Amino acid sequence: MTAAGGEGWIDRSLERQEDDRLLAGDGEFLADLRVDGCLHLCFVRSDHAHARIRSVRTAAALAMPGVVAAVTGADLATEMEGGRLQAAPPAPAATRGQVWPLAVEEVCWHGEPVAAVVADDKYVAEDAAAAVAVDYEALPVVTDAEAALREGAPRAHDGWESNEVFAARCTGGADADAIAANDAEVEAAFAAAAVVLSQRFRARRSGAFPLETRGALALWSDEDGLTLRLATQHPHGARLALADLLGLPAAAVRIVAPRDQGGGFGATAPVCREHAVVCHLARRLGRPVRWIETRAEHLMAAGQGWDRVHDLDIAADREGRILALRDRGIADVGDGREDIRRGFVAPQLGSVMLPGAYAIAHADITLRCTVTNKASPGPSRPADAYPARFALERGLDMLARRLGLETAALKRRNLIADFPFTGVTGVRHDSGDYLKAWDTLLERVDLAGFRAMQADARAEGHYLGIGFACGAELSAIPPDMLPPRGERTDLPPGETAGLAHTAGVEAPKPAPCFTAHAATVEVDIETGRFIVLDYVTCEDVGTVIDPIVVEGEVQGAVVHGMSNAMFEELVYGEDGRHWAADLGRYPLASAADVPHVTVAFAPTPSPDHPPGVRALGQGRPGPVPGALANAICDALAPFGVEITTLPLRPEMILSLIEAGRAGNGGASRDIAVRRKA
Amino acid sequence: MRKAITVTVNGRACAREVPIRLLLVDFIRDGCGLTGTHVGCGHEGRCGACTVLIEGRAHKSCLTLAVQADGKEVTTIEGLGSRGLPHHLKRAFRRYHALQCGFCTSGILMNAVDFLDENINPDEEEVRRALIGNLCRCTGYSHIVEAILAASAMRHGLKPEPPPAETEPPP
Ligand code: FES
Ligand code: FES
Repeated sequence: MTAAGGEGWIDRSLERQEDDRLLAGDGEFLADLRVDGCLHLCFVRSDHAHARIRSVRTAAALAMPGVVAAVTGADLATEMEGGRLQAAPPAPAATRGQVWPLAVEEVCWHGEPVAAVVADDKYVAEDAAAAVAVDYEALPVVTDAEAALREGAPRAHDGWESNEVFAARCTGGADADAIAANDAEVEAAFAAAAVVLSQRFRARRSGAFPLETRGALALWSDEDGLTLRLATQHPHGARLALADLLGLPAAAVRIVAPRDQGGGFGATAPVCREHAVVCHLARRLGRPVRWIETRAEHLMAAGQGWDRVHDLDIAADREGRILALRDRGIADVGDGREDIRRGFVAPQLGSVMLPGAYAIAHADITLRCTVTNKASPGPSRPADAYPARFALERGLDMLARRLGLETAALKRRNLIADFPFTGVTGVRHDSGDYLKAWDTLLERVDLAGFRAMQADARAEGHYLGIGFACGAELSAIPPDMLPPRGERTDLPPGETAGLAHTAGVEAPKPAPCFTAHAATVEVDIETGRFIVLDYVTCEDVGTVIDPIVVEGEVQGAVVHGMSNAMFEELVYGEDGRHWAADLGRYPLASAADVPHVTVAFAPTPSPDHPPGVRALGQGRPGPVPGALANAICDALAPFGVEITTLPLRPEMILSLIEAGRAGNGGASRDIAVRRKA
Repeated sequence: MRKAITVTVNGRACAREVPIRLLLVDFIRDGCGLTGTHVGCGHEGRCGACTVLIEGRAHKSCLTLAVQADGKEVTTIEGLGSRGLPHHLKRAFRRYHALQCGFCTSGILMNAVDFLDENINPDEEEVRRALIGNLCRCTGYSHIVEAILAASAMRHGLKPEPPPAETEPPP
């Protein structure tokens, strides 16, 4: 526990007011709300990854005692006014996908909602959902982003011209001349470099997955319109989107988030098709309707992240100074037709965040997004810095090994030292002392001592390793990255979109925070299994208001990252079927899987945000996969192991050890866990 | 099919006629109105949020039928101490910031009660292993482990209870 005791509210660990009710069992989560006459809604979801819907038969379900309604996509297409959800793209280049809340004619991913059943008892609703019969005609499936981009690939959405829905260039400016000049500079830097590292990195799908699943409780009144009790991180966005979908004026839609929510981490930020169905049925039936998502649905449909390839080239001089960076990102955005953040913004943010805390003078960073027959990913902490940090942090370690340098020294040499600093992708680092935080981390881990211990252990056949990674993370999307805000014209006179009253400060500029991580592991070379012995972070979150809360937040985020990197993968079969729809096949880290996470602080107050605070919640898991993978590769340096894919599965590590033993160490082949359907 | 059962929940007899397929967690939440016990994994038995004590031992109430608890004593988070005199584990959880969203908390507390009844003065390893059936996505477990160790030490007088933290800064 961190010692407390500052002035006023600052640097003081206070007990939280909500703990009283939560510890008494008096929390008020969505499923806890008592509403008389409330009906229960259950979705019927596609068990095909891509198929035409021949028919949906609901008669058997409707005949069951207690069943009040059953609707299909075709019903909604005639009943709903606004109806279709639209992925509003951040750039005109993107394809505007549209989708009804329930699939009409075609399903495009395993788990897509096809029908909904409402009953007065949740057990009956489940039975009735199982009694809905859907007749499908299978269509060709594409589940891999690169395959989807190939000429002649099957289309994830029947009739679409292309699977590529969005392409972005994150460096070089807006006009063609500026881009050409930038590319020439990058070329020249590569030509002059003493060493160039070119490597493909891949992070497979994992994500947010809070302990409370999604849910919604809609109440309709002819007088007041819709009140939606919604477990959400983004009530205002939900209000405007649902007003559109339901064909209601915004004034007739109220979103009330329950007092307590069981985590979010991004998963509850998007506006979802399910919400629209719940609202529509409450309105149609004139009765309260609640949907509480099952864990299987949640794993299939919500909070998925990454699924990213980074083809990364790093040009450096002999001392390991980065001269230029080139990155070709490919993002698999699955179905890609849902909420804006579920397709385009998160991947773009990932590419923009790629340079992180490093002072990189020249870069050429691009991104392509493609739809596939999988669920739409969504925001998941740390947005898409997760695959980007992994790629760059691993790349720098590979570079250090090639140059015969200590990786911690190479990374330190490249950290931003002069502030303010505006990076190649436009991210502004207002102030800070990244070197101080880095040095504080190194003091904590005693690198020289560790190297001595590592050598002794190796002599006895034990493989210990240490890995470093860092990130400068944003709390928000910089305003200039957002699409221009259109004026809303459908608001009643005098009504403005957004908060009615704001208290506090609007952040004028993003204030990145800095987080540096060191992991120590031991690897069993016979099995490829590893344990994390120790994990230390050093944080610059600006002024620390409540140390114990900040410590807990960092520890939670780090363990979230460990769980993602070590255990989690949303595996899809070749037929596009989801293989990991329960926590048995998609395990989350337990207390026994992870060590205590030590959190050190090296704060520099932000000049822009009183009282000097910086971002905290967002970024922490970002550096975790890099730190862990680097530690494993450090432990296995005698075998020349270089990991390039996530998650860090023992079988992948073992195959690299074996390749190293056979004398052909090198980067991991891209080993997918694929099972025959 | 339905069956009449009587379950003593937190010391109060709860008599109901229930469908035999009704899960204990739904009996507790919907039948008894005690919503402090949560469902995090849709009845897979993986997350532990639904853990309660049956006859003093920790059980996952999503893997138990209500009829299996007929005639038994069930304790939930609501029955652990009182607001005026909170259970020592609850005091430790509060003091060590062992809950963030609080969704996993009830299950972890109930599991910890059972564990500390069986283990005097456990070490960190043992506490971590005992928590294998409870997932938490918020805290990273460190504060939970610290709180359970502290509660154990307090209970056996090995460590004085820390002074309550302030809830507001001095004026
Ligand atoms: S709800 Fe019982 S273990 Fe998850
Ligand atoms: S405190 Fe949120 S899941 Fe544990």
